[in-house]
Amino acid sequence: MSAAAGTRIAWAVVLGLVLYAGVPYALAGNLYLMSMIVAALTIGGIALAWALLGNLGGLVSFGHAAFFGVGAYASALLVMKSGWPIAFAVVAGGVVAALSAVLVLPALRLRGPYFALAVLAYAHIFRIVATEWKGLTNGAGGLSNIPRFPVVAGYDFASKTGGYWIALSLVLAFVLVYWRVRESHYGTALRAMLHSEEATRAVGVNSTLLKAMMLFLSAFMTGVMGAFNAHYINFLEPDYAFSGLWTMLPIVAAIFGGYRTLFGPIVGAVVVYLVDQLVFKAVMPIGHQIVLGALLAAMILFSPGGLLPLLTRRPGRAQHA
Amino acid sequence: MLEIDGLSVRFGGVTALDGVSLHVGARELVGLVGPNGAGKTTLFNAIAGTVRTQRGAVRFDGQDLSRRPAYARARHGIGRTFQIPQPMHALTVADNLTVAQRFGAGRVDPQALDELLALVGLADKGFADAATELSLTELKSLEVAKALATRPRLLLLDEVLAGLEAHGKRRFARMLAEIHQRLQLAIVVIEHDIETISALCPRVAVLDFGRLIADGTPDSVFADAAVIASYTGVAAHA
Repeated sequence: MSAAAGTRIAWAVVLGLVLYAGVPYALAGNLYLMSMIVAALTIGGIALAWALLGNLGGLVSFGHAAFFGVGAYASALLVMKSGWPIAFAVVAGGVVAALSAVLVLPALRLRGPYFALAVLAYAHIFRIVATEWKGLTNGAGGLSNIPRFPVVAGYDFASKTGGYWIALSLVLAFVLVYWRVRESHYGTALRAMLHSEEATRAVGVNSTLLKAMMLFLSAFMTGVMGAFNAHYINFLEPDYAFSGLWTMLPIVAAIFGGYRTLFGPIVGAVVVYLVDQLVFKAVMPIGHQIVLGALLAAMILFSPGGLLPLLTRRPGRAQHA
Repeated sequence: MLEIDGLSVRFGGVTALDGVSLHVGARELVGLVGPNGAGKTTLFNAIAGTVRTQRGAVRFDGQDLSRRPAYARARHGIGRTFQIPQPMHALTVADNLTVAQRFGAGRVDPQALDELLALVGLADKGFADAATELSLTELKSLEVAKALATRPRLLLLDEVLAGLEAHGKRRFARMLAEIHQRLQLAIVVIEHDIETISALCPRVAVLDFGRLIADGTPDSVFADAAVIASYTGVAAHA
C-alpha cells in the first residue's frame, strides 16, 4: 500500500470516528441540535439522489418529493398493515419508490425543463392520490403512531442519536454507491451520453435504459430517505410527505454544496439547513429563507460549482466553466 | 451478409431513399458514391438504425434488423462512423474506445484497445481529450477506431477521407485497406473522390436521387452513361 493510500485511510478512520462517535458525544445533551442534524442529513440524502440523477442521467427533476412521499407511505404501511420488520420495510420503501418511477419513464424522452415540469406534475398527482385513497392512507388525516426504529442489541435506535446513526449510515452508503456507479463503465458511458448521445448509441450504448436506471436509483435513494423519516418522526400526512420542500431544499442544498461533487450535496444540506434554522431563524423569525435565497444567488454567481469546489480551489488559480 | 431490400425513407414530402436494394457479402469492400443529396448518408442511417424506414427490410446475417434500435444494431456487428466526427465528449481517446468495447462488443479488452490505437495511428494519444485535443485526421482515425472497438463484421465509413489533403488521403486509404485485410470484415465506404474509390474498392455502387443506378466494378460503373449524367448533369453519348 502506498503512503498516500495509507494517509487517506487514516483520514477516513478519523473522520468516521468523529462522525459516528464525536458528534453524538459532543451533542449528547442537545436534542434540538441533534434533530436539526438528522433533518439536514435526510435532506442531504435526497440532495445526493437528486444530484446523481442530474450528473449521471442528465435529468433535472422538480419532483423528488414524489419519491420521498411514496417511500415514506410504502414503508409505514408495510409495517403497520402487514407487520413487516422496519429494516426490510425501509428498503422496500425505496423499491416501491423506484417502481413508482416507472410512471415517469414516458417523460424520459423530454429534455431540459420539460422533463423537470413533467416530474413536478407527477409529484402533484401522487399527493392527490395519497389524499384521496382514504382506505389505504387515511387521507388527509394522515398516519400517526408509525412504529419507531427498534431496540437492537440493547441500543434504542428510536433515540435522536440512533436516528442520527441511521441517517448518517444511509447517506454514506449512498455516497459509496454513487461513487461506484460514477467510476464504472456505466458512469463513463453516461458522461459521454450527456454531450454526444448519438455517438454513444452508435457504439452500442442503450442510452434510454441507462438513464432509466439512474432514475430508478435516484428514486430508490429518495424513497429510502422518506421511509427513514417516516419511522423517525412516526407521523405522515400527504401535505407533509409530498411537500414541495422535499424537492426544493435538496436542490438548494445540492447547488449550494456543489452538485457535481460526491459530498457537496450533503455538506450543502448540513450547512444550509443548520445556518438557516439556527442563525437566520433566530435573527429573523419571519422570512428568514430570504437570506438563504440571497446566499444561493451569491454562490451561483461567484462559485457556480458550489461550496466544496470553492473551499478546495487553489488560490491564484482561476477556474472557468 | 447485409441484405437491403426495397428500402424507402421519406422525410415529410422528400423521398431520400426510393426502393434501394443492395447486398454486401462478408469481407467485401464496397464504395458508395453519388452526388450530394443522393441519399448515401441516409442509407447508412437506415442500416445503422438512426432513421425510420417506411418500406423495405435491412437484414444482417439472416436476421431482420429493420425495427431494431441503433444501439442493438451496433451490438449485432454493424459499426459506423459519422460524416462529421462525433467523439464522445468529456472522455479521453482510450475511454471512447473502452465504452465502445464494453457496450458494443460486450467486454473490455485493454490489449485489443492498444492494438487498435496502434492500427489507426493514435498510439500516443490514448490520454488525449477526444473532443478538444485531436487534429481532423486524428478525429477521423478515432471515428474508425471507435467503430472497430465494437468488433463489427460490417463497417460503414461515411466520408472518412473527405477534407484530408492528397497525401493524407492516400495514407488513410492505405490504412483502410490494411484494416479490411487484417480484420476480415466487410466495409462500405462513402467517398466522392473517384480516383481514391477506384483504387480502394473492387466494387462500387452509385446512388442518385435516392435510387441505386449502378453497381459493379469501378471501371464499368464510371463508364456507365447514367452515372456520368448524374455527376455531370449532361447525358453522355455513346
